[in-house]
Amino acid sequence: MSIKHFDYVRASSCAEAVALLSDPTHISRPLAGGTDLMVLRHKGEVQWDRLVDISQVPEMRTIVQQGEAIVVGAAVTHAEIVEHPLIQRYLPLLADACHSIGSPQIRNRGTIGGNVANAAACADTLPALVCLDAVARIVTKDGEMAVPVKDVVVGPNRTSLPAASVIRDFVIPIPPAQARMAFFKIGRRQVQSISRLSLACLGWLDADGRVAEVRIVPGACTPQTQRFDQAEAVMLGQVPTEELVRKAGQAGAVQMIAITGRRWSTPYKELALPALIERALRKVFGLPEVR
Amino acid sequence: MEIRFTLNGKPTAVDVPPDITLLRLLRDYLDMTGTKCGCEIGECGACSVILDGEVVNSCLVLAPQVEGRRVVTIEGIRGPDGGPNDLQEAFIEAGAIQCGFCTPGMVVAATVLLRKHGYPTREQIIEGISGNLCRCTGYQQIVEAIQMTVLRRGGLPEKEEHA
Repeated sequence: MSIKHFDYVRASSCAEAVALLSDPTHISRPLAGGTDLMVLRHKGEVQWDRLVDISQVPEMRTIVQQGEAIVVGAAVTHAEIVEHPLIQRYLPLLADACHSIGSPQIRNRGTIGGNVANAAACADTLPALVCLDAVARIVTKDGEMAVPVKDVVVGPNRTSLPAASVIRDFVIPIPPAQARMAFFKIGRRQVQSISRLSLACLGWLDADGRVAEVRIVPGACTPQTQRFDQAEAVMLGQVPTEELVRKAGQAGAVQMIAITGRRWSTPYKELALPALIERALRKVFGLPEVR
Repeated sequence: MEIRFTLNGKPTAVDVPPDITLLRLLRDYLDMTGTKCGCEIGECGACSVILDGEVVNSCLVLAPQVEGRRVVTIEGIRGPDGGPNDLQEAFIEAGAIQCGFCTPGMVVAATVLLRKHGYPTREQIIEGISGNLCRCTGYQQIVEAIQMTVLRRGGLPEKEEHA
């Protein structure tokens, strides 16, 4: 079913957006930057008769520090995240992920909430948000709920978001000062490219130089974006060495195949993923780069 | 529905269906055909315009989303005498135009780039036009035209800048 024409309404608050989305006389979809919805529209895949514009809802447009967390509004654009001093200072991983998206034009429109809610398998903010333990705060007609981003996206283009709800913002804990992070992405070209594979990584060492914390989250890799705990287990409590990062990379490939089975892309990804994991761990734990 | 916004500095009101894009509003309802219609899926950048100071693909903006906002199109980018400005002259001089289809989008993207960075490096120029496809020039002349403009506006060549 494709609908020929549709209506438009602009919401001025989350509550109003949810009320409009719940209106049973319309098939409504939330519209933010339009970088996914307008493509569907062009392809004639219109599954709504009204768009509820949430791109200018004030409480969804801010980046603020609240105690030990940064709160990023869902309608903040990728470009705004890249340029924001709080993000650059505390969450460079997220800035790098957002910078890797599309083109200047796309980054000026596309929003972080849209990237999560659209839940593309290749969404570049997902591995970064999961790696940073981000929690989405969702407004529904029954009130507000907080859900870790890893549980919001349950599969390619599938979310656990209730009907007629909107993500208001993301609460992202500020990692400890000694944490280092990395984001790498492989696409067919440097810009305007869909991720073939990406990797978000974060970690820090204890006073004895052993790995106190490590998080390894591949993107465009598994149906649900998740930490690769088997690769992490290789590193945890150890002094990072060349041999160890290689082992972690291999453990990552084994875990990927255990989750996805052998797919058409596996011959490529089982080589590329360990290389990305190694590269990220080298950067995070200060080992020399290998080219 | 009626949409009121500022277009190239002038208050504008136009009655359009609520489900068309900004690109279609400009071309089909205001006859402003300088903004080119390429892919209509945000890949090519031919439809680039400036929305509240930022470069965007007008094919991905739903027309009613510009209500109350400022839009600048290629028609709004010109020299004080109404003719080409220094950036546009540089495009002509550098041979940065062949078929001309990408040119309005390139000039729009470069205009924002020059405003934001003042004197962008070659790397920043390449990133600044990375959302604009050109199938004729191979980009070399376009980058040169923007570099030429940077120099003429008082920027230093990159090597000296880093010395």
